Amino acid sequence: MMSPRTMLMVAIGVLAMLAVSIDSDRLRADETNFVSAAIDIAQPKMVKVYGASAGRVEGYATGIAVSDDGKILTTQGVFLDGNQVKIVTADGVSHNASILKRDREHQLALLQIAAKTPDYFSIQSEEVGTKGDFVVAVCNAFKVADKQEPLSATLGVISLRTSIEARLNERDVAYRGDLVLIDQITSNPGAAGGAVITIEGQMVGLIGKIINSSETNTRLNYAIPNSVIHEFINSDPAKAETAKVVYEKVDLGIKLFAHGGRNSPAYIDRVKRGSPAHKAKLRSDDLLISVAGEKIGNVKDYQATLKTLRADEEAIIVVKRGTELLRVTIVPRKASE
Amino acid sequence: MLSINQLKNHTVFRDLLVSLSLFTCCLCFGVNSSAQEATETKIDKMQLMEAMSLTSNAFRSAVEKIRPSLVTIESFGGVSAVQGRIGGIRKQGEGNTTGILISKEGHIVTSSFNFITSPPVITVITSDGERRVAKLLGRDETRKICLLKLNPFPGIQLPEIAPLNEITVGQWAISVGVGYGDANPAVSTGIISAKNRIGGRAIQTDANTSPANYGGPLLDIEGRVTGICVPLNPQNQAVGAGVEWYDSGIGFAIPLDGAAELIERLKTGERIYPGRLGIRMEANPDGSGGIRVVEVVPKSAASEAGLGHGDIIRKLNDKEVADQMELRKIMFQLEAGDEVTIVFDSHLEEKSMSATVKLGKPPAPKDDAPPMEPPKIR
Repeated sequence: MMSPRTMLMVAIGVLAMLAVSIDSDRLRADETNFVSAAIDIAQPKMVKVYGASAGRVEGYATGIAVSDDGKILTTQGVFLDGNQVKIVTADGVSHNASILKRDREHQLALLQIAAKTPDYFSIQSEEVGTKGDFVVAVCNAFKVADKQEPLSATLGVISLRTSIEARLNERDVAYRGDLVLIDQITSNPGAAGGAVITIEGQMVGLIGKIINSSETNTRLNYAIPNSVIHEFINSDPAKAETAKVVYEKVDLGIKLFAHGGRNSPAYIDRVKRGSPAHKAKLRSDDLLISVAGEKIGNVKDYQATLKTLRADEEAIIVVKRGTELLRVTIVPRKASE
Repeated sequence: MLSINQLKNHTVFRDLLVSLSLFTCCLCFGVNSSAQEATETKIDKMQLMEAMSLTSNAFRSAVEKIRPSLVTIESFGGVSAVQGRIGGIRKQGEGNTTGILISKEGHIVTSSFNFITSPPVITVITSDGERRVAKLLGRDETRKICLLKLNPFPGIQLPEIAPLNEITVGQWAISVGVGYGDANPAVSTGIISAKNRIGGRAIQTDANTSPANYGGPLLDIEGRVTGICVPLNPQNQAVGAGVEWYDSGIGFAIPLDGAAELIERLKTGERIYPGRLGIRMEANPDGSGGIRVVEVVPKSAASEAGLGHGDIIRKLNDKEVADQMELRKIMFQLEAGDEVTIVFDSHLEEKSMSATVKLGKPPAPKDDAPPMEPPKIR
């Protein structure tokens, strides 16, 4: 769960090279250690969030001040669901917080405390940082810091800027949209709501709540990028909950082998005469490899992808027939009720 | 003085700079006289920041350098056919996995973790964006690597392999993989933590290795392949062992330098398993060294050798077996099918005996599903 390498990285990347060649009395740490300078900029803007817990789900998180009038950004979580949410600012003072708005799609929450927060992150919509850049994560994973104690900082790099496509209702994904994968371990209790900053101290994104990737069956370490949190902070609270897009049902005229359930490979059992699949010359025993650019690993994937197709809009299907891969264009039709 | 900014965009100097950036900066400026202290410390700070940003550039160039050889592997059936856990370990995800092309004939090396359930259909997306059907050849379960084969196609670019003797503990290590489902590979960085792990088979790193990059390369700062990321755990030889350490800072990679003979074996479709003696054991209670056999698995190498409850194993292949750790170390060097000569004190016969037998392979995991077959063509 925890990675000791993060601190090691700091040591190797920065301190070790200082130690190699520079006498410690000739250079003071505050003049050379810009990573610590970046962390020092972040700390006064960080808060600790405490609320309700539910069973084994921890009732604490991290947050950041995003305005000078006490607006606190954090993630959704059970800690918001109790009677009281408490925010401990960097000076160690505890404040009661009210919830201004929440967003299900990006799992964000904006809170308000009745106090000034002169140190805050001014969130811009521009993205900062690219793959390979060093970044520092500042958060209160495992509640290690208490009261006015500064939060824990870990060093890593940006792994990838990517996005999780809309599968909000699937069991394992509680986030959709763009994200910044990072390589330090932040998928720990309490880390959500922490800040990911560059070594120059610029905001990269907000540490998201723990999500398990079905792609890898592992936890993701990621930040919600500036553009997303900027949009959330400045959104109309009434519209913060995004409407679900409902697509018209379409039909391709494909019946799959169903002998092994939804996890079986998507072999075509029958193709309806005159259907889009028939026109595209698909046949029994073809194995669906991809539909509209989505990999079809099994029957479940096919059913999920079918929902994203629209009637009369061409889609490319790749099937495996024998040892050949075939690419066909299909035109879905409206499903008959 | 040459500015690093000027050099940064100069490709000829870039490789040299990036590999030396961290240390040279310090060395150059570490010898200034104290009179200049105030100015020089400021330069140091800027130089260090520059060095760090150059290091990030180096990470990116390393990934770009390997990309033409990097492939995305898709499995159909088998993978998601198994629910829950495999061999007591969390199962692999449903996503794509990573591999790298290592021959002009279309051989791809990847991790056998990506094919725990022998999927009937495997396709590979090469860096030109083409999807191709792949065939699974041999696999080495002692290293958790395996070989895939594509039909050869023009323009295959092979990676540069870092010589094993040039890999040093403490050097940058960059793990690369496409397992997050994005064609653009994700990167994690760290250092080489150790060499000669797991019976000399693996190098250890603190760059993240996980299902997102198993089968993908571990690179040095110049983009040369130091190894193939795999899940391994020296205490456990189960099929999925090692995955539980995916975010622990302990990861392993199998070096490709010196693996030519192994790759040739895998090309023939050979399956290599860890050698198994077939005993449950404990420390010799009388304190004279050796290990005492508690239980012998029927039809195992141990039962072939005539080992029984209470026997004391003294030597394996002429090597003294001082304790269980020693035995494990010797066994790590061996694979299933290798001959071992066991010297032991027989409890029944009350004398020292010797037997030479072939090592067996570990049992298949109990919760492994039968491989999925495509439906019959009617």
